[in-house]
Amino acid sequence: MQPYQEEYIANLKDIAVLTARKSPEDRSFEAYQEAFLNDRKQAEEKAKRNMTLLKEELFPVLDRLFEASEEEICELREFAGKLTSVGEELDVGLFCQIHQALLSLARHRKSRKDIIQELYWLGIGRNSLCNKMVGLDSQDSEKYVYKMRLCFTEAAAYLKYFDDIEDTETRGYIMRSRANMALGKFKSVSERVRILKQTLQIMQDKGYQEKEPDLPWEKYIYMTHQLMAASISYSRENTMTSQDIADIMESVYIVYHKRMQEAVEQKERPPIKSAFAYYAITYFCGLDTLEGLLTKMEALIDAADTSDYSGESMYGIISIPAFYCQFMQQYPEKIPERKEYIEGLYRRILLYVEDSPKASENATLFFYLRQLSATFVETEDSISYGEFIQKLQKRFAPDIYVHSHAVGRAAAVLCAIILEEDVSFFDDIDFIRRITDLQEKKDAILTYAMECGVFHDVGKMNFMSLYSQTGRQWFEEEYEMARLHTMVGEACLALRSSTSRFADIAKGHHSWYDGTHGYPESYKRLECSYRQMVDVIGLVDWLDNVTETGRFYTGFRKSFREAADEAVSLEGKRFSPLLTARLRDRKVAEQIEQAFEEGRREAYHGLYKNFQI
Amino acid sequence: MPAKFVVYGGMEMENKKKKGYLVVEWAGDGKAKAVYADSGACMLTGMSVEELLLSDPVQAAKSLDMETIRLDDEHELWILDTLHNRRQRLAELEKMNAALEDALNAAEAANRAKSNFLSNMSHDIRTPMNAILGMTSIGLSYIDEKPRVLDCLHKIQTASTHLMSLVNDVLDMSRIDSGRLTLNEEVFSLADSVHDIAVIVRPQAEQKNQSLLMEIGQIYEENLIGDALRLRQIMVNIINNAVKYTQEGGSIHVCIGEREKDLVWLDFLCEDNGIGMSKEFLEKIFLPFERVSNTTTSKIEGTGLGMAIVKNIIDRMGGVIHVESREGEGSRFRVEIPMTIASKSRTAPNLPKGQTVLITESRDARAEQIAGYLEEEGLVPVRVNTGLEAVTWLTEAQCEDRMPCAMLLGQELDDMSVLDLAAHVRGLAGQAFPILLVSEEDWAEMEYRATRAGVNAFVPCPLFKSRLLESLCGLMGISRKEEEEKEGVDADFARMRVLLVEDNALNQEIAMELLSLIGVQVEVAENGARAVEIFEAAEEGHFDLILMDIQMPVMNGYEATKRIRRMKRKDAQTIWIVAMTANAFVEDIRLSREAGMNEHCSKPVDPERLQEILRSRLKNEADAV
Repeated sequence: MQPYQEEYIANLKDIAVLTARKSPEDRSFEAYQEAFLNDRKQAEEKAKRNMTLLKEELFPVLDRLFEASEEEICELREFAGKLTSVGEELDVGLFCQIHQALLSLARHRKSRKDIIQELYWLGIGRNSLCNKMVGLDSQDSEKYVYKMRLCFTEAAAYLKYFDDIEDTETRGYIMRSRANMALGKFKSVSERVRILKQTLQIMQDKGYQEKEPDLPWEKYIYMTHQLMAASISYSRENTMTSQDIADIMESVYIVYHKRMQEAVEQKERPPIKSAFAYYAITYFCGLDTLEGLLTKMEALIDAADTSDYSGESMYGIISIPAFYCQFMQQYPEKIPERKEYIEGLYRRILLYVEDSPKASENATLFFYLRQLSATFVETEDSISYGEFIQKLQKRFAPDIYVHSHAVGRAAAVLCAIILEEDVSFFDDIDFIRRITDLQEKKDAILTYAMECGVFHDVGKMNFMSLYSQTGRQWFEEEYEMARLHTMVGEACLALRSSTSRFADIAKGHHSWYDGTHGYPESYKRLECSYRQMVDVIGLVDWLDNVTETGRFYTGFRKSFREAADEAVSLEGKRFSPLLTARLRDRKVAEQIEQAFEEGRREAYHGLYKNFQI
Repeated sequence: MPAKFVVYGGMEMENKKKKGYLVVEWAGDGKAKAVYADSGACMLTGMSVEELLLSDPVQAAKSLDMETIRLDDEHELWILDTLHNRRQRLAELEKMNAALEDALNAAEAANRAKSNFLSNMSHDIRTPMNAILGMTSIGLSYIDEKPRVLDCLHKIQTASTHLMSLVNDVLDMSRIDSGRLTLNEEVFSLADSVHDIAVIVRPQAEQKNQSLLMEIGQIYEENLIGDALRLRQIMVNIINNAVKYTQEGGSIHVCIGEREKDLVWLDFLCEDNGIGMSKEFLEKIFLPFERVSNTTTSKIEGTGLGMAIVKNIIDRMGGVIHVESREGEGSRFRVEIPMTIASKSRTAPNLPKGQTVLITESRDARAEQIAGYLEEEGLVPVRVNTGLEAVTWLTEAQCEDRMPCAMLLGQELDDMSVLDLAAHVRGLAGQAFPILLVSEEDWAEMEYRATRAGVNAFVPCPLFKSRLLESLCGLMGISRKEEEEKEGVDADFARMRVLLVEDNALNQEIAMELLSLIGVQVEVAENGARAVEIFEAAEEGHFDLILMDIQMPVMNGYEATKRIRRMKRKDAQTIWIVAMTANAFVEDIRLSREAGMNEHCSKPVDPERLQEILRSRLKNEADAV
C-alpha cells in the first residue's frame, strides 16, 4: 500500500477510538468534558487530514485511472481491502467508490477477469450497506439490495464460460458470486431457496469440480448450506412453503451435524447458530411445538457465554433474543408468562454490549443490535424501548446522544417562548389538546419537546459509520442513504406504545415547511397532527447541525448568528414563519443558543455521571 | 211541445244509430205513456212506433239500458241502448281515464325528478361552491403560510373543476333535449384518445387504490373518423362511473378493441366489481336525473345526467350500449360504435428484420402483447421475467457477441424495480444500447429518475403497436440520427473552441486527443491563473466552453471560475464552465456550483460523456439563437 493509504486507515481507526464513549476515570466533570471536546477536535483534524489525503493522493489516481499502472491498481485493491473486512467496517463508502471505479476500468478494458472480480467486490460492499437497513420497510431499502444482487448476478452469469476462464481465482469469484446472489432480503423466501438450491446443484456438479479441482468446493458447498440454513431466520412463520421447509431442512441438518462434530473435536461449546436453525426447522416442519421451540431458544440464550465476543456468542446473546421477541410479537399471548424473562434479556444484553471491545467498528455486533431493536417487545415492567435506545446511544454514539439532548433542550426553550404568546399553539396534537389545566399543558409540552429532541435521531443508529465514526465528508450516495435515518427512526418508534408519539417527529424533521424540498417524500406536513412540533425540532436540529455536528460530514460551518439569520431568510420555505418570527428577536436567538450549550453540558454530565449504562 | 221534440229529436237520432230515444209523459195516476219514439227505439224494443205509443214504455224498455233526462214536470227523455254497448262504452271511458291518470303520473314524476334534480343540483352546486368560498377565506386568513394557501388553492381547483363538469352536463342535456347536439367528423388517432383517457381516469382510480387495468384488443386501424371529443366523453363517463361506484381497493377492467365488418366497429368494455345496480335502477339508468341512491352512494356527487348523455351520444353515433349489473357484484358496460377508417395505408416502420429484442416483463399478458407486435414486424422477441434473468441473459449475449438491438422494460418485475435494472444494464451494455420503458405510469412524473437510470425512451400504456414501433424506430433512428448528427455536428464541433484547464500533462494529452478527434479546437492552460489570463485576453465569445480541473497549482479551478465570472464582459456570465474532477463529495459538487460552474464531469473522463457535454452546449447555443 501507498503511505497515504496506510495513513488514511490509521486515521480511521483513531477516529473510531476518539469518537467512542469515554470513561470518566478519576477526572472532574470539567476535565472529562474537555477531554471529550479535545478528542472530538482531534477526530475532526484527522477527518480533515483524510480529506486532504483523498483529494491529493487518491483522487488524482482515479482521475487518470485508465492510464494507471498495474502496480497502482493492485495497491488500490489492497487499500480497498483494508477498508472493510469480515465483521469490521472502516469505510464501506470508499470501498464501493474504489471498486466502482475499478469496474469502470475493467469494462473499459473489456477484461472479463477484472469485470468478474470487481463485480464481486462491489457486491460485497453493497451487502454491507444493505445490512444497515434492518428495520426498514422493504420498499425503502430494496434499491440497495437490488444493486448488490445485480452485481453478483452479472458476475455469476459468467458461469456459462467456466471452461473458457482458466484462472482458478476468477472461477472462484464466479462460484462465490453465484452463492451471494442469495444475500439480502427477498420478496419471497421461495425465491431465495430456489437460488440457493440451484447454487448447490452447480457446486455439487462433478463436471465443475473436475474442471477446477483447486477450488475449495467443500467449503463453498458448506457455506452455501449455511446460507440456506440462515433462510429460516429470514422467514416469519407461514411465509415458507412446505417445499421451502424441506429444502432448508436438509441444509440445516448438514450444517448442524458438521458444527456439532467440529465442536466435539475441538472441545468447544455446542454451536449456537446452527442449533437455533435446527430447532427452528424442527418447529416449522411440525416436529416441535412453539412452546418447545421457545424453551430451546431460552436454553441457547442462557447458555451463551457473556464474556465471549465471538460471532457465535453474540448471536446467542443478541440475535436469538431478537428472533425470540419476533415470536412474541407474532404470538402476544405468550408474553405474560415470559414477562420477567424478556425484561432480563434486555438487561443482560445491555450489560453485554457495555463491555464489548472495539464496539464501534464491530459490524456484526451492530447488525445483531439492529435486529434486536427491530423486534423489541415492551412489557409493563420491562425497560422501555426509548430507554433502551438511549442507553445504546450513550454507549455507541455519544455524539448523537449529546446532539439529541441539546436539540431537546433548545426545543423546550423555543416552545416555552411560543407558549407565552399562544398557549394553544400545539393543540393540533391530540394528547396536548385534551389537557385542560394550563400549567399542566405547558409542562406536558415542554416535556414532550425535550423527548422529541432526544428521540428525533434514533434512526441514525442504523448508520453509525456515517454519523458517529465518519472519517471524511460524505459521498453523494452516502448522503442519499443517510436520509433513510428518518424512515428507520419512524419505523422503530411507531411500533412501541412508549415511543409512538415521537415517530412523526423522527420522520418529518428534515422536511421543508412548504413541502418543496426535504425528505422523506412520504411525510405530508398538513396531514400530520404533530406538525407544529415537527417544525420546532426541524428548526433546532438544523441550527445545531450547521453550527455544531453536521459540519463534520457535510462541510457546512456557521456561527449561531449566521445560522439564525439564514433560518430567517428561509422563512416560509424551509422553516415555519411562526417559528422564525421568534428568531428575529436577538434575545430569543441568544436564549436558544444558550439552551444548546446547556443541553450539551447536561448530556456530557449524563455521560460522566452515569457512565455505566 | 211534442212536435218540437219530434222535429229536433228526429234529426239528431238518425245520427246515433245504436241508441233509441223515447219521450215519456207521466200521467197524474203515475202511469207512463210514450209520446214520441224514434227508429232506434223501435229497433231496440222490436216494436213499431204505433205499438210503442200505445204500450207501457216501462215494460217495453225493461230489458234495455236506459238513461233518463227530465225535461219538465211531466216529460222525460229516455235514451235507450243495449246493455253490451253500455258496458263497452264504460270500458272505453275507464281506459281513457287510466291513460289520463298515467299521463298525469308521468308528468308528476317528471316534475318530481326535475324538482329532485333541482334540489340535488342546488346541493351539488352548493357543495363545491361552499368549498370554494370556505377555502378562499381560509387561504386569505393564512396568506403568509404558503403550504396552507397552496393546499387551499388545490382544493379550490378541484371544486371548480367539479363545478364545471356539473354545468357542462346540464348544458349537454339541454342541447340533447333541444336537438342541438351535433357531432364532428374529423380524423383522430385512437391511440391518442385512449392515452388521453388513461391520463384522465388513472389518478382517480389511484386515489381509491383501485386496480384499473386498461387493455387494447385487436386493432385494425388506429386513424379513424369521428367525434373524438364525444368518444372520449363516453369512455371517460363510463370509467369514471365505475371508479365512483367501486369501493376502495376494487378493480376495474377496461378493454378497447375493433371489429372489422364493412366499417370498423369500436368495442369498448368496462367492468368493475363495485356496488352494482338493482334491476329497478337498471331500467332507469339512461333516464336523465336518475342516480343510484343508497347509503354507500349518498356521498357520491354527480348530476345523474351522465349516462343519459352517454346514451344519447351513442345513439347519435349509430352505436349501442348494453349494461349488465347485479347489486353488490358489479357492473359491465359494453359499447359498440361504428367508425369510419381514415387511412388504411399505414406504412410499416422499417425495422431491421430478424434482430433480437429483449423483453423484460413479468406480466404474461403484456409480454405476449409486446412479443406479438414485434413478431408481426419480423423482429425476434426474447422474453425474461426478472431483472436477474435479464442481466444473466445480457451478460451471455455480450460474451457471445449477440446483443439484442434493444431492451424493452416492462412496468413490473418480480424481483426488483425496473429503474434499478435499467441503471445496471446501462453500465453493463454501454451508452449506445437502447433501453425502452413500457409503462402505465405518468412519464412526466418519472422522466427525471428514468433518464438518470439510463432509459432512452418511453412507450405509454395501454400499448398500441404504432407507439411501440415508432419509439423503437425513433431510438434506432436516434442512433442513425446520432451518426448523422456526429457527422453534422463534427463540422459544428470544428467551429467550437474549448479552453482546457488541466495541470497534469498526461490528462492534458488524453483530453486533447479526445477533443481533437472530433475536430474541436483546443487551447490549454496549465493552471487556473493561466486560464483567467487566456480568457481575459481572448475576444468576447471566443471560447464556447471551459473544461476546468479543480486541483491545480497556482490557482485552483474554483478560484479561476470565480474570477472569470467576476469579469466585466458579456461572456463572463454565459461561458459554460465544466468541472472535471474525480472529487465526488457532496461538498465538491456544491462548491463547484457555488463557484459558478455549470456542470460536473467525473474523471476518468469518458469520451461519450465529453461529447454529450459538447453536444448539449451546442444545443443550448442553438436554442438561445
